[in-house]
Amino acid sequence: MTDVAGELRMAHDLALMVPELTLLVASALALIAEMLRRPTWSLWLAGVGLLAGTVLTVPLVGTETTVFMGTYRVDALAAWSKLILFPAAALVLVLLRSEIRGKAREGTAYSLLAFTTLGSVVLAGVGDVMLVVLGVLLASLGSFALVAFEQDDRSTEAGMKYFVFGSVASALMAFGLSYWFAAAGSTLLSDLAALETMRVAGVAGLVGVVVGLGYKAALAPFHFWAPDAYDGAPVAIAAFLSVVPKVGALFALAQVVHGLPDELGWRAALAVLAVVSMTYGNLAALTQTSVVRLLAYSSVAQSGYFLLGVIALGRSELALDSLVVFAAAYAAMNLGAFAVVMQVGRELEDFTGLGRALGWLGAAMVVFLLSLVGIPPFAGFAGKLLLFGAAIDAEFAWLAVVGILNSVLALAVYLRIVVAMYQRGARTLRPLRPVLFVSGLALLLTVAIGLGAEAFLVRPG
Amino acid sequence: MTIFLPLVGAIVLLALPRSGARFAHRVGITTSALTLLGALAMWWRGVGTGFSQIEEVAWIPSLGAAYRVGVDGISLPLIVLTAVLFLASFVFSAKIDERARSYVSLLLLLETASIGVFAALDMVLFYLFWEVTLVGMYFIIAGWGYAERQRAALTFFLYTLLGSLPLLLAILALYLGSEPRTFDMRVMIDAPPLTGLAAMLTLVALLVAFAIKTPVVPFHTWLPAAHVEAPTAGSVVLAGVLLKLGTYGLVRFALQMTPDAFRAAAPLVIVVAVVSALYGALAALAQTDLKRMVAYTSVNHMGYVVLGVAAAAVATDAGTRALALDGAVLQMVAHGLVTGALFLLVGMVQDRTGTREMGELGGLLGVVPLLGWSFVLAAFASLGLPGLAHFPAEFQVFLGAFGVYPLAAAFAVLGIVITAGLYLRAIQASFLGEPTERHVVMPDLGLREAWAVVPLLLLTILLGVAPRLVLDVIARAS
Repeated sequence: MTDVAGELRMAHDLALMVPELTLLVASALALIAEMLRRPTWSLWLAGVGLLAGTVLTVPLVGTETTVFMGTYRVDALAAWSKLILFPAAALVLVLLRSEIRGKAREGTAYSLLAFTTLGSVVLAGVGDVMLVVLGVLLASLGSFALVAFEQDDRSTEAGMKYFVFGSVASALMAFGLSYWFAAAGSTLLSDLAALETMRVAGVAGLVGVVVGLGYKAALAPFHFWAPDAYDGAPVAIAAFLSVVPKVGALFALAQVVHGLPDELGWRAALAVLAVVSMTYGNLAALTQTSVVRLLAYSSVAQSGYFLLGVIALGRSELALDSLVVFAAAYAAMNLGAFAVVMQVGRELEDFTGLGRALGWLGAAMVVFLLSLVGIPPFAGFAGKLLLFGAAIDAEFAWLAVVGILNSVLALAVYLRIVVAMYQRGARTLRPLRPVLFVSGLALLLTVAIGLGAEAFLVRPG
Repeated sequence: MTIFLPLVGAIVLLALPRSGARFAHRVGITTSALTLLGALAMWWRGVGTGFSQIEEVAWIPSLGAAYRVGVDGISLPLIVLTAVLFLASFVFSAKIDERARSYVSLLLLLETASIGVFAALDMVLFYLFWEVTLVGMYFIIAGWGYAERQRAALTFFLYTLLGSLPLLLAILALYLGSEPRTFDMRVMIDAPPLTGLAAMLTLVALLVAFAIKTPVVPFHTWLPAAHVEAPTAGSVVLAGVLLKLGTYGLVRFALQMTPDAFRAAAPLVIVVAVVSALYGALAALAQTDLKRMVAYTSVNHMGYVVLGVAAAAVATDAGTRALALDGAVLQMVAHGLVTGALFLLVGMVQDRTGTREMGELGGLLGVVPLLGWSFVLAAFASLGLPGLAHFPAEFQVFLGAFGVYPLAAAFAVLGIVITAGLYLRAIQASFLGEPTERHVVMPDLGLREAWAVVPLLLLTILLGVAPRLVLDVIARAS
């Protein structure tokens, strides 16, 4: 009898993980296809896996449960992470294909990209500290290789830096998390309320998890790898790193801290981190001459904005909404911006005259950048409106004030690109079809998410 | 409906990529003329007490945000003013050949956003339109301005964004304070949701936001730079319409949604308003560039508007309150018409002579009599001559302020004396005397220019002779 019940339970749990399993199978098949020297098959397998995963997630929206004895959560964050990151990764595939077509190991890249995406969505659904470590590793190992894909000096150096930084951060995280396990006697995140009375162990674990996930999300001061890695990697991979693992890690952070007792002071700690990330990211971006590095630093700042929503968890009903809407918005606008970079070039001077040479692409870039600042009616505004609202609601109004001041800084950052785009000195550019496709779709989404934010709101029932 | 008419025009224009400059301008003029007709139709339908002609469509119901628009006696005159000024701008700028399609589309977008701000009855919608005006204006200045345009546009955008983000915080504070939570402005106005410290902090955020937009001293520094570098039509829209967004917000948000806090803070606001009025006048007196001078008089005139609003906030009897508030709204309309005309005329002078320096001009009244007399008329209106638009407005503002803060009103009146002096000086330097050699022969007002500026001047006279036409509508609101 018990066996039957157990098997039923197992089947039930697996059914709730169909999207993940689909992607897992697709990634593995993509790898096999590469072994058969069929990179195009790899591409299609990875792409179909991602899209199928997206479709299969739709019925799970609104489910609030856990599987495998509470270790993995099937909740709003988990579902939305898949609905956002799977299509985002699929769009990256389109970009990546046009960038690395015909190169050696092409299919490996597609397969690794799918595996990394899997790791990122696993992170977004973590219910157990061991799964946090597993998710970070799964989302990291593939990324290291993807960054070093080109195998020239620059990308090898970038991959190496990323690898060393990632290893140390992951080790520190595992070390810190061991304190939690020792103190709480359980690896389940839902049992962490027990840390209330054990502050030292609680804080040690918090430090570890913040370092580990902070590195993955490129939060300052754990962001040092990001500009180099983005710069050394293919542009499509930079776009990928700035969206998929980042959102996964931030959602994981939300899952982890949500169950922590207030006594650990995690809200204040994350607030400080948010201020540092936003301010440092924007200031550093101000002085960059490479658009890729500029976007890398700006993505550090955007991670800081995410934290406003994480901090408000448990105190404001807007918190969850704000995370989901901003993640969707961020994925659309950031991918769009990177797509344009892929067309135009990595340096700021490459953007000179873009607005005159390719009017529509220039206009799309303006929309992405204004959306990143948070100007309505674009997606970034809807996200930031909710983030600021959540922060004020959670009695962190001062953090919202820091946030708006940073938006002004951010405008100064992004306008540097806009100014260059409308300077004289047009050159002829032959529009790349994949770029037009991705940036067009991203443009559509940036506007649609801004106007139709209702669809992303997490409402019980 | 009327709100989106210009946007439709812009989309039509963008959808026809191969159209020439003439066609673009024709679309611009036609669309804005239709918009004006729409606005006049709204005027015809009139307003009752409270908000009328309401349209409501669900947008983000979970958050209590919706597409809600409507008008009352305060917003309706401003919407008509906006439509008039945009039509004048389109007529005037029909000579622009450089990327005319983008120019017209941006200006149409700006028109939609401006009317949208005045008509919005939902805070998210209000903020949305508000920010779109910034973006539109940024590109107008950066794309079609004078020599230092990139810098000026950048300053304008950064400065005004710094101003609009406190507004966002205030909106969120009002939203979080309402029960049940909603972004509906009517609810906020009927029952101001915040009290005590929260209301005061919200008011501070609102005051900062609108002080930058209006602008009042010491937040005015972006204004002269933006005006000097902006193309003529950009200046008209900036001074005539966008500055009104600040004072309109002051009435709609600060006065109506945090009335108690505003009452408490009114003395400070009054001081700022008076300083602003006097400083604006003095700074204008010190200018030798005609356009800069007109820009600074805006600071002066907007100071009176703020004075009127603040007086209305403290006034205890309904009569004084209505007097001051009506005066402030009328002053907004008058300033839009008069300053719009002045910027157009200065632009015409610059088009002909290539300079705006008073020292390099002279005797224009003899060379181009129509243009010259038009400028004199607009200048007299601007300095508050009875029978022209500013007089009834300023009279009411001072009367209202005198009832509450006699001393402040007395100081503010000094501003009129200074303004009179500076306009007379400008007229003397540029329009009287001997024409400079380079500028002996030039064409007088052309047909296009006349169509742009004469209606504004006629309206200025009409408003001066029969202010009741507008005041009756305004009075419905207060």
